[in-house]
Amino acid sequence: MRDRRLVGSLAVFAALLLVPAAVHDTFLLRVCTEAIMWIGLAVAFDVLAGYTGYLNFGHSAFFGIGGYATAILMARGWGFAPAAAAGGVVAGVGAIVAGLPTLRLRGAYFAIATWALARGVQQLALMMTLTGGPDGIRLPPFLQPRFFYYVMLGVVGATFFLLWFLLERAPFGLKLKAIREDEQGAKALGLDPTRLKIQAFVLSAIPTAVLGGVFAYWVTFIDPASALGDLVSDQALVMVVFGGMGTLIGPVVGAVLIFAFKTVFWAYLSEYEVLYVIILGAAIAASVVFLPDGVLGQLLHRRGPTRPATPAPRPVPAAGKAEG
Amino acid sequence: MAEPILSVEGVSKAFGGLMAVSDVSFQVRPGEIVGLIGPNGAGKTTLFNLVSGYYAPTRGRVIFQGRDVSGKPPFALAARGVGRTFQVVKPFAGLSVLENVVVAAFLRHPRRADAERHAWTVLETTGLADRAHEAAASLTLAGRKRLEVSKALALEPTFLLLDEVVAGLNPTEVDRTIELILALRARGITILIVEHIMRVIMRISDRLVVLNFGEKIAEGPPAEVAANPAVIEAYLGEAQA
Repeated sequence: MRDRRLVGSLAVFAALLLVPAAVHDTFLLRVCTEAIMWIGLAVAFDVLAGYTGYLNFGHSAFFGIGGYATAILMARGWGFAPAAAAGGVVAGVGAIVAGLPTLRLRGAYFAIATWALARGVQQLALMMTLTGGPDGIRLPPFLQPRFFYYVMLGVVGATFFLLWFLLERAPFGLKLKAIREDEQGAKALGLDPTRLKIQAFVLSAIPTAVLGGVFAYWVTFIDPASALGDLVSDQALVMVVFGGMGTLIGPVVGAVLIFAFKTVFWAYLSEYEVLYVIILGAAIAASVVFLPDGVLGQLLHRRGPTRPATPAPRPVPAAGKAEG
Repeated sequence: MAEPILSVEGVSKAFGGLMAVSDVSFQVRPGEIVGLIGPNGAGKTTLFNLVSGYYAPTRGRVIFQGRDVSGKPPFALAARGVGRTFQVVKPFAGLSVLENVVVAAFLRHPRRADAERHAWTVLETTGLADRAHEAAASLTLAGRKRLEVSKALALEPTFLLLDEVVAGLNPTEVDRTIELILALRARGITILIVEHIMRVIMRISDRLVVLNFGEKIAEGPPAEVAANPAVIEAYLGEAQA
């Protein structure tokens, strides 16, 4: 069952390799590139949201950190690949620093704390000369749509299959789920929650930052609004919830559907831009109510045991735990 | 006499002004089943949390296998061989019964295939093998208590803390659980058990430690403790004593 899904994912990946050969329209290739980027951002978001049970509203900060690191280093003569990799390292260290205090919090408190940290990072980028303040940074233009398509696909594919191995095959994924379900109980079974949560945070932050780096080089310009705004966090959350939390395929499905909707809407109905947000919001509210396991969960009619938990903390009868 | 596996030395735990456990000392020797009893609120679960690393003692020390483990986190104690169950059973509700046990089995079997094999063995011992693929949330109370024991056993502990694994079960289930506990002891696991049901605790314990208002008021073989006036007073009140 799991293996069939892996084979299916590999087949999709192989098919995606052929897209540039078939698609000659630059706009369409651009749409495909961005769709793949969102798949990566949603999958990385789900490491923390679905598997570990932490909604990280600072996701956008890691995306921006990757973008800025790449832009700053390339302006100093670094090549693109080492600059983007360095962005991933910076974000990984940032995740450890940000995770140590915030991962002690649960539920809404963690969401608020990470959101506040992301706002702090955005303010820093607005104020510092290194980041160009509100004007942002221009990167050396490299106008090769196919190059960016393949780089995006390579980064997202590597992320997806690495996460597949770690979360679906290796013990790591099951350990994270145990922490999601009951952190205190997991400790008695030999799990160190802080350590595992930090690892998950780092694992979520690094690909997000590398994608930020690729994005910055691709669009040749970043500023605090585009790279550090809430869009990345919000949209990744929406994609993950809509597709199905706590799985790897769910966020892929959610990312493709939401991004396709967004693209079609903006391409043909751009004068009703406000409507987009309203429709998206209504769709999310409806999906939370009617499809608690996301589109994927609904399609597969999955059995109880493998069903991922809903993001809300489940009502555990906690009375009498402290004293008997 | 054998070196004690667990030695609780003058341990106290205060929550604000409340002394939940006050200057308690006792020892558990390898292979023993020691019952920890006392009226509601006597500090039994607090003592469990102190011994399993959930609380650090305000005063005193907890010595496990000759080493001071006071204030060591629960996962470090689990690695040293301390397994525990919770009074309020807490399965990982979104995972299957098997997955619940596999998580614990990772401690001694880091590879997933090995951990699963070990988890199956444990589930057969505890009689949950036929429900392995069901959601943990779908188990009855008796099933959840068995799962709780299964998880602790999957850690391959040398010392097991059982917190009310019998309370709430029907008589048949009670007998099966007693058999299981005695079988575990026969395998060499030392057990400290909290239980309200006197019939059970009297039958399986080698020794009893009695707490009341956070203090140890008696210790000894079950028959001796049952005849102790201080214990009768704690349970029945002064008028009857």
